[in-house]
Amino acid sequence: MVAAGWFRERGGKRTRWPAEVTLGIALLVLMGVVAAARPNFLNVGNLVNLVRQISINGILAVGVTYVLLTGGVDLSLGSVVALSGVAAASFAHPGEMGAVAVAVGIFAGAAVGAANGTVVTVGRVAPFIATLGTMTAARGLALLASGGRPVSNLSRSFTWLGSGSVPIVIFGAVAAASWVFLRHMRMGRYIYAVGGNENAARASGLHVRTVKMAAYTVCGALAGLAGVVQAARITTGQPNAGTGYELDAIAAVVIGGTSLSGGTGGVGGAILGALLIGVINNGLDLLNVSSYYQQVVKGAIIVGAVWLDRSKGR
Amino acid sequence: MKKLWAVAAICALGGCSGSKPAGPVIGVSLLNLSNEFIVMLNKSMEEKARELGVRLIVNDAQRSAEKQVQQVESFVAQKVDAVILNPCEVEASSPAVDRAAAAGVPVVNVNSETRTAPTAFVGSRDEDSARIAMEYIAQRLGGKGNVVMMQGFIGQAAQIKREQGAREVLAKNPGMRLLANQTAEWDRAKGMSLMENWIQSYGDGINAVFAQNDEMAMGALLAIEQSGRKGKIVVVGVDAITDALQAVKDGRLDATVFQDAKGQGAAAVATAVKIMRHEAFEKQTMIPFQLVTRENVATFSK
Repeated sequence: MVAAGWFRERGGKRTRWPAEVTLGIALLVLMGVVAAARPNFLNVGNLVNLVRQISINGILAVGVTYVLLTGGVDLSLGSVVALSGVAAASFAHPGEMGAVAVAVGIFAGAAVGAANGTVVTVGRVAPFIATLGTMTAARGLALLASGGRPVSNLSRSFTWLGSGSVPIVIFGAVAAASWVFLRHMRMGRYIYAVGGNENAARASGLHVRTVKMAAYTVCGALAGLAGVVQAARITTGQPNAGTGYELDAIAAVVIGGTSLSGGTGGVGGAILGALLIGVINNGLDLLNVSSYYQQVVKGAIIVGAVWLDRSKGR
Repeated sequence: MKKLWAVAAICALGGCSGSKPAGPVIGVSLLNLSNEFIVMLNKSMEEKARELGVRLIVNDAQRSAEKQVQQVESFVAQKVDAVILNPCEVEASSPAVDRAAAAGVPVVNVNSETRTAPTAFVGSRDEDSARIAMEYIAQRLGGKGNVVMMQGFIGQAAQIKREQGAREVLAKNPGMRLLANQTAEWDRAKGMSLMENWIQSYGDGINAVFAQNDEMAMGALLAIEQSGRKGKIVVVGVDAITDALQAVKDGRLDATVFQDAKGQGAAAVATAVKIMRHEAFEKQTMIPFQLVTRENVATFSK
């Protein structure tokens, strides 16, 4: 389903097959290798476990897809996970409404996202620098809000969000909604247009600032949601949580074929990219590969996957 | 307390060389006052100083060894009677000890070490914390069973020492097998994912988990509870953080290991005062770690 639209998008480029197909094959090969060594990899229990573990990175990857499509980047994701987790947890003690806590967490993320958007569009600061700034500031806010200590003793109605298959359902809903939005809604198409050629988009009457603002705010809100789910999963809001999450999320999106210069790619690739990273993590743990080697192997597979994708079109 | 901060702030800003307040003064440079453990260490030092009638000037190095060296330099310039150093780093904080020694000011290192030997050291051996935890596991399993270990950030001093302590005990118990040993980077979420993967991989083959800190132990505990294996796997962490103490009290976590901030802070001040008064003092004071289980948890929770 993604492939059909993909050709429309990259009509001008000489490519033989879409990134999603290459990636899908790489994913299957990798799963085959792990399954051959550890048959229990393919247990339903482990597969559910695997998808649950990628839900957080998956939600972040879908969110940052919006920003990457505009040709920007968001480095504040990991700090937002911590901030929104702490914010939500502070409102999620027993006796308080779980729904309020979720709203607070998402709002905190959206606020940081809107701040990113404002600095990038109004302040004309390069996205890398702008979001590097909010990355630091949001981490500081998370530490301030929590007094540097984990916020625990959360209500059951809140931690339910992180239990069983609930994170998978949330991730699925976010992915489906974003796929429809980016593919079929007018605003979604504008995001592609702005990332593809900002000047052309402006010349054809698009309000580029609004489009970018929307992209950063949605990305922030989804990072906020990821923070809420993570806090529910580990039953505590951790001010130190999420360090480096932005890199895993961006890696997932880029592995999925989204260009860092904007305009091409999409949600389908981001999901496959997140799955690939998840299979690598889970598989290496199951194979009991030493922690030293894990990092080397992970890095090599990420670069290899992107290399394979980039070279096939030539 | 507030006044001391003001003094410290003014000294840091303006440098008050030579203006020595009346009575014996100890300059204290702490690793990081946004860490729960260090805050407790500071509190116990203040209490002991009041009791012994000495004044403390407390500076926060905010994890920067560079800043720490500067702070000790300004202590020397202020002609303090002794310095208590809570080192940021083994190598990079050593010049602080050198500067004080060159000026003839005695230095007491507290909690962690520097390469240059100070006048006296007060602290705990990190290896011991893991040894105590692993011995508890050995005892619970009757010296026989499969253990998985969660490592901290690979290469950090605490990870290396805790690993070493745990392995010593494993070597003494040939019936205990280290089934898997991976890092979860001190992190609760990562600890939970790692435990989920281990449960998938080894199922009921795991008898005990040793996590090199409590955060990871709490993550492992959640994964175990959600897989319906509560009570079937022994889980032990290190640090005695608030959440872990609560979990021990609730009968969820089997044990954690308590590092005595209060004991370390008090002993550091007491040692510094003895040195200042030219009394006999211990060159090395080791404050023992303590195992916390459901039986004695009440004495540790605040």
